[in-house]
Amino acid sequence: MKEDCKKNFERISEYLDGELGPDDCQQIEQHLEECPECRDCFDALKKTIDLCKKNAQEEIPGDMQNRLKSKLRECFGNN
Amino acid sequence: MTAIATDVTDHHLIAQFKEGSMEAMETIVDRYENRIFIFGLKMCGQLQDAEDITQDTFLNAFKYLNSFREETKLKNWLFKIAATACIRKRRKKKCEPDRELSLESFMNKDGTFETYDIPDWSDDPSDKVLQAEMKAVISNAIKTLPHKYKLVFNLRDIEGFSTKETADILGISIESVKTRLHRARMALREKISHAYQEGKSV
Repeated sequence: MKEDCKKNFERISEYLDGELGPDDCQQIEQHLEECPECRDCFDALKKTIDLCKKNAQEEIPGDMQNRLKSKLRECFGNN
Repeated sequence: MTAIATDVTDHHLIAQFKEGSMEAMETIVDRYENRIFIFGLKMCGQLQDAEDITQDTFLNAFKYLNSFREETKLKNWLFKIAATACIRKRRKKKCEPDRELSLESFMNKDGTFETYDIPDWSDDPSDKVLQAEMKAVISNAIKTLPHKYKLVFNLRDIEGFSTKETADILGISIESVKTRLHRARMALREKISHAYQEGKSV
């Protein structure tokens, strides 16, 4: 891997999260335009995060809330 | 005096709880139990473990809520307790020490990148079977991340805490959060892409 790619590869997440200053952003954007491998890495990473976020919904067991509340009442009911 | 960081609703609920209101306690549970449960489930992968973590979190929270000074948001404080409960649960199970993920492992030895094929969630939303399979692949990929990377990934990317908030919740530096998050994402990209490729070739 080229030194330039390696340097940008390490900061792709920070770039995605908007945590880099304008100069660093510009440098990464320019590199992504010139380097198809890093562009591919960037696109795949973005898609991965997107997939994981959309997959975050889970079913909550219906009776969990009752069990939790009765346990809390038992412990804190005489406060 | 330090400014109060909790939101207005939580601030009132905390004040009512301190005066002995059980309704306030239950409203706090209603507001946060789903998120804490999902966090526990993403961390441990088992329904019973996630329920234990949720229960431990609220039991500890209400035990110490009287001395909570609201210098941080209630939600962040609850996640700090939940993260500690996850770490404790992992210790009890005597799991193996965390593996380290190195960035070099995501680069090919000949100095090139591997090309990753990641599906779009919207590829075919009508295909429920495909979506269920994808969901299983993604959940499994997250579940098999080393614990400390999984903590950061779930807090940052799933729960949406900022880098600074995640660092505060876990008691680690901002730099550590950034490093772990990037490596977790790279590992997930690899795991999901490989599972997707295998699925396509079956």
